[in-house]
Amino acid sequence: MPDKLKMFDRIRIERLVWTLDQRLYDLPRASRIAKRREVRANLLEAAADQGVRQALRRIGSSSALAREYLGAEFGDRPRHSWVAAAYFAALVPLLLNFALTEAANAYAQGLTGGHAADGTHVWSGISYLQSPLTFTIDQGRVDHTGGAWTPIVYVLWAVGTVACGRLWRLVPPFSRGLRTPAAEY
Amino acid sequence: MTTSHDPQLLKGVLSMVLLHLLAERESYGYEVAQRLQAAGFADVLEGTVYPALTRLEREGRLATRLVPSPSGPARKYYRLTPAGRDALAGARQAWSRHVAGVEAVLARPLPPPEEKEDN
Repeated sequence: MPDKLKMFDRIRIERLVWTLDQRLYDLPRASRIAKRREVRANLLEAAADQGVRQALRRIGSSSALAREYLGAEFGDRPRHSWVAAAYFAALVPLLLNFALTEAANAYAQGLTGGHAADGTHVWSGISYLQSPLTFTIDQGRVDHTGGAWTPIVYVLWAVGTVACGRLWRLVPPFSRGLRTPAAEY
Repeated sequence: MTTSHDPQLLKGVLSMVLLHLLAERESYGYEVAQRLQAAGFADVLEGTVYPALTRLEREGRLATRLVPSPSGPARKYYRLTPAGRDALAGARQAWSRHVAGVEAVLARPLPPPEEKEDN
């Protein structure tokens, strides 16, 4: 009976169920939840029957299982990944803004370290990535404005998101890929 | 029968076997896996069976319903749809043709093996 499983065994089952869930994020939400519940119910019964170790061995790794489920849902053709696209779209601005801010701070420290005179200084910024930055020095205090992304960064960001998520496969002519005829009964 | 099966051959016939088992009676995932094992397919793992059921469901060959279980979470029972019955009938015919063809080839007599020459 599943409720007789030890806490540690439940944790091992939940670990597989939730790692599988994470790998199925490209599925519609209802379908992903249904699979999570079905796998959990089957695993609990298998664990009560044969032991957790055997039940987990027979169901395999969460990555292999997810691959099979995604193949079952979308077919074996190459497919897009919303998760990969979302990771790229979210992480690139964070990393790029961090790098640009660090560069601006370094320039500001250079100005104060070099005892630059009060007034404004213009730095052209990192080529192709940002607009010029204007640094204002007032009694040793440095402020800056500017440094926005250039249009090319927005274009690269969008292209990178599409490339990372292989989103062109959403377009029907590309989604068919190199599908081979199934020789399945 | 406990001998292992060729995974490539199994992959080709797994859908047909699953359809037949579910035509006999509706079952939930783990029960299907157990019935497969009892039928001699001990090396067909649950990790293969559950996605195969999902694939058949997506293709419209299986329908599902949730049934409360006295011993845990609700079970998802699979049963054949009319399309599934048609697919099973077609698969049986294709399988019979396939077996007949293979049997015909295998029934041909082979020439006696040549004896190795000692140099």
